[in-house]
Amino acid sequence: MNKALLLTKSNLRKNRGTSIGLFFLMVIATCLIGISLLIFMDCYPSVSREAERLNGGDGYISIAGNVDGFTDEKIAELFEKDTDSYYAYHDLKLTNHPIKFGNGEVVISVDICDDSAFERITENYVYLPYQFNTSGGFNTGDTFEITNSGKTYSYKVRGFTNVVYGGCNNTALFALVIDNDSYEELWNDTHEDYENINVIFDLKEGVKNGEFRIKAYNELLKVNPFAVIEGYDIDGVISNRTFIGLIIAVSFLVATSLIIAAVAMMLANSISNYIRENMKTLGALKAIGYTGKDIKNSLVIWFSIIAAIASIIGIVLAYLVMPAFASIIIGQMGVPYAASFNLPATLIPVAYIILFTLIVTVICAAKVSKILPIVALREGVESHNFKKNHVDLTKTSLGLNASLAMKTFFGNMKQNVITFFVLGFMIFCCVISLLLYENFSRKPKLDILATEICAGVVTSDYDTREEVLDYLENRSDIKNIREIINMNVYYNDEESLFCYIVKDLSKMNNTNLCYKGRLPEFDNEIAVSGSFAKAYGFDIGDEIKIDYGDNSYNYLITGFIQTTNNGGREAIFSYKAADHIMDIDNIPGWYWFDLTEESDSVDENIDEVNRILEECEDKYDNHIISTMNFYKMIGGAMTTFQGISAMMLIIMCSISVVVIALILFLLIKSLVYHKRKDYGIYKALGYTSGSLMLQTALSFMPSVIASAIVFSIVSYNVANPYISVFMRAFGLMKCDFAIPVPGVVMIAAGLTAVSFFLALLQTRRIKKIEAYNMLVAE
Amino acid sequence: MKNIIETSKLCKTFSNGGVQQHVLRNVNLEIYEGDFTIIMGASGAGKSTLLYSLSGMDKPTLGSVSFCGTEITKMNTDELALFRRSHCGFVFQQVYLVESMSVLDNIMAAGLLIYKDKKTLINKAGEILKAVNIDEALWNKFPTQISGGEAQRVGIARALINDPKLVFADEPTGALNSQTGKAVLDTLTKFNEKGQSIVMVTHDISSARRGNRILYVKDGEIAGECNLGKYVTGDKERHQKLNDFLATMGW
Repeated sequence: MNKALLLTKSNLRKNRGTSIGLFFLMVIATCLIGISLLIFMDCYPSVSREAERLNGGDGYISIAGNVDGFTDEKIAELFEKDTDSYYAYHDLKLTNHPIKFGNGEVVISVDICDDSAFERITENYVYLPYQFNTSGGFNTGDTFEITNSGKTYSYKVRGFTNVVYGGCNNTALFALVIDNDSYEELWNDTHEDYENINVIFDLKEGVKNGEFRIKAYNELLKVNPFAVIEGYDIDGVISNRTFIGLIIAVSFLVATSLIIAAVAMMLANSISNYIRENMKTLGALKAIGYTGKDIKNSLVIWFSIIAAIASIIGIVLAYLVMPAFASIIIGQMGVPYAASFNLPATLIPVAYIILFTLIVTVICAAKVSKILPIVALREGVESHNFKKNHVDLTKTSLGLNASLAMKTFFGNMKQNVITFFVLGFMIFCCVISLLLYENFSRKPKLDILATEICAGVVTSDYDTREEVLDYLENRSDIKNIREIINMNVYYNDEESLFCYIVKDLSKMNNTNLCYKGRLPEFDNEIAVSGSFAKAYGFDIGDEIKIDYGDNSYNYLITGFIQTTNNGGREAIFSYKAADHIMDIDNIPGWYWFDLTEESDSVDENIDEVNRILEECEDKYDNHIISTMNFYKMIGGAMTTFQGISAMMLIIMCSISVVVIALILFLLIKSLVYHKRKDYGIYKALGYTSGSLMLQTALSFMPSVIASAIVFSIVSYNVANPYISVFMRAFGLMKCDFAIPVPGVVMIAAGLTAVSFFLALLQTRRIKKIEAYNMLVAE
Repeated sequence: MKNIIETSKLCKTFSNGGVQQHVLRNVNLEIYEGDFTIIMGASGAGKSTLLYSLSGMDKPTLGSVSFCGTEITKMNTDELALFRRSHCGFVFQQVYLVESMSVLDNIMAAGLLIYKDKKTLINKAGEILKAVNIDEALWNKFPTQISGGEAQRVGIARALINDPKLVFADEPTGALNSQTGKAVLDTLTKFNEKGQSIVMVTHDISSARRGNRILYVKDGEIAGECNLGKYVTGDKERHQKLNDFLATMGW
């Protein structure tokens, strides 16, 4: 072993460049695997951990709208039987209120409590959910406003809360705490409309959450049929809070896996190259009595030392950069998070890199044992090498530099294949990031995030619904008015389905909603979400029994819809179909409309819709229950997506450039080493360093350009189906994300230019080759 | 006689681990047009260092080298490369053909540095290859597929393709047997007779006989010079003159 250590020391000293290149590749690979695992094993589960820590129970039910009859005794009677414990409290719930959030506003239910949980210090303050701080653009001391019936209530933000329910814009509810005096004022102004009772419960063992909630809803509605009952189970809340985090984590993992594949390819190639480059030395060592085992051991020790140090540094780096990555994800989840030590996420990347290196080294070093010293001394050349004379200089129409570059290209096929795939993988990663950026940030693809897209929504009370509809229909600045309401319906008393009830389904804008089959037309038809159908084994043409209150009806499934909301449990049917289970005539008017002339400017659209909504509110005053400016809401809803996707694009492009630089460094270093004699000859003949550098850099260009073209086309065509595989888990069964061709071209052209520039930089070592020294040394 | 190269106080010192080795010491020398100049000397005397310093392949530590009146010691590496391609041809002991190129492409790779008209170049490459007795059947072979003597003659053809003012040959027969070595020397002699100036390093007397001017290098200095006149096959008097000169030099 002493002999092997001696050789290892010599290897490390002699091959600093290779060692450093491999070291950085291993650091990057370990770091990326570490980050991916930390996201999955530590960051992503933090919502569940916090829910457990905060004793979030199994779910909650809110009773709003009309709480008459819900006495403490009645609630106890309804909840005591099936729950181990429950906690009920009264507060105010402002349903579907627009609230400033991030770059726009969100329309969301706002649960407002008094400050009984906090010590009273100052007046007129609010505690907002933590997500307002991570994504919503709020800091302590800022002013938070909420408007109701034309009156604006302003509060100073005093802090941020970590709440299980109502802590994230994806859970349809924000829970706020305000000071007692402000609460009293708000209570007096609004409690008749917005008094709410929240019941958070812990179920007894054996009681199914879905069944319990449906049963509870029905029982609660029996107490007061005018109450609006809503709720979530804890799994649904966690799933909604982590939805975007999971998309990002998966996208990152997808991209990372490609980078790791490229790095692994390069590691194997570098180790194999090292053995080839040092064949003469290895032969000399064998000639003086070193055994194949000694040499193999030295190689294994050498590469293992590099892998061990690099992987440890890589995993430390992963922990160091984790807060930056985590901030992207927790911004959406809205929970405080600090990276903690996670044993599997630490050990797996380190073990993977060391084991991979060991296996590759052992395989590549196997040839050392077989080779005879004399053959090794001849640099492993056992016979003449009969090659094809690629790019015959007497026949080619290419210029001298290009011809010689092509000769180098054909003589360097293995390296070019690696370049082709490495660059291709990087292009694919960048295109995936571009896809996320384009569809979640630049031009948000709303049809995958919302069931229906429009310009604005007006909700009027029952009394004025016909009048408001007439008014809207007579306006020339709006078109395509759809009547769409939302209700929770139930399947088999065990699963709740968030249902879109649409008067005329042919007016729907979102043509991507139904990915299989068709939307319902007749009164006995329904379309359900694909993930729900899969969970319960439904196919198109099957019958499904839908319950609402005491009513039930068997509908025919006509198609599957895709949704990322409500835990993937959604359905859609017509007014006529809904009439079988509910009194559809006795409901307020919900009117979704588009602008007759939509501007390219979002701001102009926001102003236009605001004007329409204001005119409507002015005309019908208190009869307008709520309004929603869709354009404005997009800004708020997309706030978290925008930051995340833009950062993903920057990170992926940066990692790609670094990986390409490292891989070109190792490839060109090896190429220059192999061709050092040729470069010496060329220089003796009168070739300048610049010309040889250009030739060498150009020799990589065919594979770079081919890769850019092939992988641009492949990425453009494959990115959607590829990402679909992962998105299915989130309820997106058919992805048709927009991939901007100019963006793909820019990525391909950019990485090609960067590759050429980096290749040219790496070939600078040719300058150091002096014809005389090379020839004399030989 | 017109000189091609003129050196002044040419010195070359190698430094290795603090130990200095003065390989060339104040060499003042002229190389003349049309000459077949031979540089001889014992191993380590500085023959090859002198050859490569004269050709601009290596930079002297001190002193100057003028090539046709232009001082090349002041040139940077790229200027020297441009200078070499226009004025110099090289023939090496180990030949140093590019192994991944065919015989003809090896010639073309050098020729294309100067010739812009490919047709003219191809014709010229063919003529030279024929002149060095390389059969056309070998033109598309790779260097590893031809014999050492043939490879060396291809090396000579490559050195001559750009009509250099001077061909530098560093022990061109050193790695060849006597028969193939003779063929290589015959080729060089033939071109010298046509007016090609050649400077050749050798430690082989039979090779040295081909030259008309012999320079003997000893301890980094030109210890002596002998003018033999033009080479004539079997000229015993000429041979004796060389032997006597070498004897006085301590060969």
